[in-house]
Amino acid sequence: MSSLRCRSHSRLTMMRRRLSYLFLVTCSLFLAAAARADQSLEKVVREVNSKLAKLYGSGGYKGLAAYGTGIVISPDGYILTVASQMLDTPDLRVHLADGRRFHGKVVVTEPNLDVALIKIDGVANLPYFDIIQAAQRPPAEPGTGVLAFSNQFNIAVRDEPMTVQRGVIAAYGKLPLRRGVFEVPYKGDVYVIDAISNNPGAAGGALTTRKGELLGLIGKELLNSLTDTWVNYAIPLHAQAEGMRDDKPVTVSLVELVEQKEKFKPLVAKRPSYEGPGGYHGIILVPNVVERTPPYVEDVIPGSPAARAGLKPDDLIVYVNGEQVGSIKVFREIVDRAPPGTTFKLEVRRGDKLTGIELKLEEPMVRTPVKKSSPPDKPDK
Amino acid sequence: MRTPRILLLTAGLLAALAAHRLAPAQELDPRILEVEQKRIAVVEKVKPAVVAIFARGGQGGGSGVLISDDGYALTNFHVVAPAGPTMKCGLPDGVMYDAVLVGLDKVGDVALIKLLPKKEGDKFPFARMGDSDKVKAGDWSLAMGNPFLLATDFTPTVTFGLVSGTNRYQYPEGRGLLEYTDCIQIDTSINPGNSGGPLFNLDGELIGINGRGSFDKRGRVNSGVGYAISINQIKNFMGHLRAGLDADHASLGARIEERSEDEMGGAMVVTSILEESDAYRRGLRLGDELVSFAGRPMANANHFKNVLGLYPKGWRVPLVFRRENENRESEKREILVRLMGVQRQELGAPTQPPGPRPRPPAKPAEKPKEPESPAAKLYEAKAGFANYYFNKLERDRLLAAFRKHGDFTPLAGDWTIEADGEVKKERASLQFTVKQSQDGDKDRHIVLDFKVGGVGFQLEPLRRQNIDVLRQPRGSGGLPIALYHYWQLLTIGPKGFEGDFSHGGHEPFYPPAADMQADFSKRRVDCEVLRTEHVGVTGKWYFSLKDQMLLGFEIQIDREDDPCEVYLSDYKPVDGRMLPHQIEVRHGNDRYGVFTVKSYTFGNK
Repeated sequence: MSSLRCRSHSRLTMMRRRLSYLFLVTCSLFLAAAARADQSLEKVVREVNSKLAKLYGSGGYKGLAAYGTGIVISPDGYILTVASQMLDTPDLRVHLADGRRFHGKVVVTEPNLDVALIKIDGVANLPYFDIIQAAQRPPAEPGTGVLAFSNQFNIAVRDEPMTVQRGVIAAYGKLPLRRGVFEVPYKGDVYVIDAISNNPGAAGGALTTRKGELLGLIGKELLNSLTDTWVNYAIPLHAQAEGMRDDKPVTVSLVELVEQKEKFKPLVAKRPSYEGPGGYHGIILVPNVVERTPPYVEDVIPGSPAARAGLKPDDLIVYVNGEQVGSIKVFREIVDRAPPGTTFKLEVRRGDKLTGIELKLEEPMVRTPVKKSSPPDKPDK
Repeated sequence: MRTPRILLLTAGLLAALAAHRLAPAQELDPRILEVEQKRIAVVEKVKPAVVAIFARGGQGGGSGVLISDDGYALTNFHVVAPAGPTMKCGLPDGVMYDAVLVGLDKVGDVALIKLLPKKEGDKFPFARMGDSDKVKAGDWSLAMGNPFLLATDFTPTVTFGLVSGTNRYQYPEGRGLLEYTDCIQIDTSINPGNSGGPLFNLDGELIGINGRGSFDKRGRVNSGVGYAISINQIKNFMGHLRAGLDADHASLGARIEERSEDEMGGAMVVTSILEESDAYRRGLRLGDELVSFAGRPMANANHFKNVLGLYPKGWRVPLVFRRENENRESEKREILVRLMGVQRQELGAPTQPPGPRPRPPAKPAEKPKEPESPAAKLYEAKAGFANYYFNKLERDRLLAAFRKHGDFTPLAGDWTIEADGEVKKERASLQFTVKQSQDGDKDRHIVLDFKVGGVGFQLEPLRRQNIDVLRQPRGSGGLPIALYHYWQLLTIGPKGFEGDFSHGGHEPFYPPAADMQADFSKRRVDCEVLRTEHVGVTGKWYFSLKDQMLLGFEIQIDREDDPCEVYLSDYKPVDGRMLPHQIEVRHGNDRYGVFTVKSYTFGNK
């Protein structure tokens, strides 16, 4: 996790200055709690379990679990979980901790927070987590001992209690959401934990303190495609997301969504301001034959911006504006969408040396006709 | 005092420096240090019992744990499977020992092995077994073993973590074997090589054997989800394992499913049942709702599969079911069911998917290529056994202990038993005589004279005849034949049972109680079992674990029928030998009769 960048609010940074002291105190508190009795931990595990729900929906094919986890957040049956393909079904089933089974309805989805709210009917007095109250506590510090609850691997059925794992918060900050590294729509702060919570079906589970206080929702299965490692993270109750609503930029929060429920209006994702064809550079890359073909230059069109910038065949483009580009796909995502006039700072490997090159895109050469709809827009997810 | 002060100052400075670096440590709550110290002490205490297992010829290995001072150790079946009957075991004292396979539970993925002491009589360190039913999610646990075969000096690796869940069910891995039922789920790191190693609680008690994990995208390394076979399940199989058996798991002979998916609260209902199953004969029918099984409430499919996994084939466990009567009232009934097997396809038990029969363990009969292990002399191959050598050992020990209550071998002649009592609730006296004669050396003639309630008949058990004749009198399941087998066991012993005479591990036994309404769990007595076969008739003999007194036996004449169950009590000395004076005979769901013995008469020798 060393690549993790922790860009957080200044308040947190201040707190982190006093880290060593706080850290150890926190540690000792947790150990002392552990020391006192396992019994108390057993009780915590039981209590948290009573407020969780097993979810069953669509999926079941390779890499996509048809099951997940949710957190009951009201006595009348609102359940918070992570927004995923699993919810994309008319037959969403919810199994409460007491073994009762219900059909659930997704009432709100906010992709920018990566959460969804489910409602089941005909229930009352359910044990639940009060998210609004829980979110009043400041985010937990790195070093805090935590418990991760989820129905990973669908180990538990019906009234069986879910898996509990123990860990420590390793960091609180933003994931390095670079293209080709982590692909998630939620861009805010997350808890990174050292418990292996990143398993099928864990998303939407509860991250709590060792006392069972809710801290966040266990995130999706997230792969760092550069290092091929999986990150164990949770979306904090303080999660916020920016976007457009009624043509105005706004910031929304998880708490807001929980407060407003059905009345919550999901954000319209910020559209890229430029939608025309990308600027012209004149680089011809090698054929993109494998999933992660390195962006080697095959040829450079004479007279093109690339030729003028000095790019040569066999150059390997390593960085674009300081961002590592591991594959042709990533390179294209960055460069091909940029409007004419954009300047990129490239680092290319030529022989044994890295060379810095400045590349300024130009108006595209006359390509006729330019169909506005030719590249099908990806749905904003 | 000057010089010391300078020294002290220097020391003080160093201390200050050290204190500066270690300052936060001093702020630790003393209770934490205490807990840490306790944990370290526990690790030190249990460490000597942890075994590193190596297959002969370097074909991998795993871990294990010693459970007795004479060298018995538990591990996984999948650890010893490639090893064959002998293996090498390293202990944390750095010494390598020879070891031999003793018993197997392939479905449960358990194996019992025995380490050979370097010197006869040397004692091994061993781990104390705990009660895994007391383990709760949220408890701390210690896993020990030899992951990645790291320790060449056999010092085990310790990992520490949380119990993530209990009573977990994990489907079999391939060919119906390695099914983890009622197991303990942990986030304690489990990696290749940890297999077969112990899981301890923080008191240093053995609560499980680590063996499996949920692996998905990370390959076969720790995924935060490991499973340990609960030690209480292994305890149920321990008698079988020690007796060198290749133990089988249980099935009910009925399919139990949750009633419709949308209904609230899962009722577990019988959706198909084999008429040959004991459950059917005891009265379980299609549509009945399972309330509890072996004392556990049944609310979902995992509950049911967990219970089945806990017991060896052949065990009798109580089952409570609910059925609506004609008046639409729900009635509850408790029955005692004999569990069927899993592995050796018993009449196509429906709970098992059809498939090839599992093969016997990796070529036990083949001679190893390398120099023969000294442990090889403790190995004897035989079908149905993991190691027949240990079965003979246990069988002979049991027989010797049983004979302490009375040696009847000098009385191997004619016998007469006379008793009073009742048959089917009517007063009836009973007379039973065994007469034997010998024609030359070979042909032995046995004639049984049997009279009950004034009706008498003769039987020749050694003659080929109709099964229905052998099952007389009606309703007893074959009492004269049962008594004849009893006489054989007492007077002739092993030589009287040419088909089988082996130790059958441990089983619960349920002697009749004054209050027959009392639930079965209160009547249960744990017994050692002897299995016999004579002229195609099989028997199971139940000896009290406490003192090897024979509490009863079952004689099965017809595989399709219930056995004749004979319960023995009120032991009194007859000519200095203990014999039962109260005999109760049951067959199927009913009592055939109960008798008080007036006399045992031993005829000519």
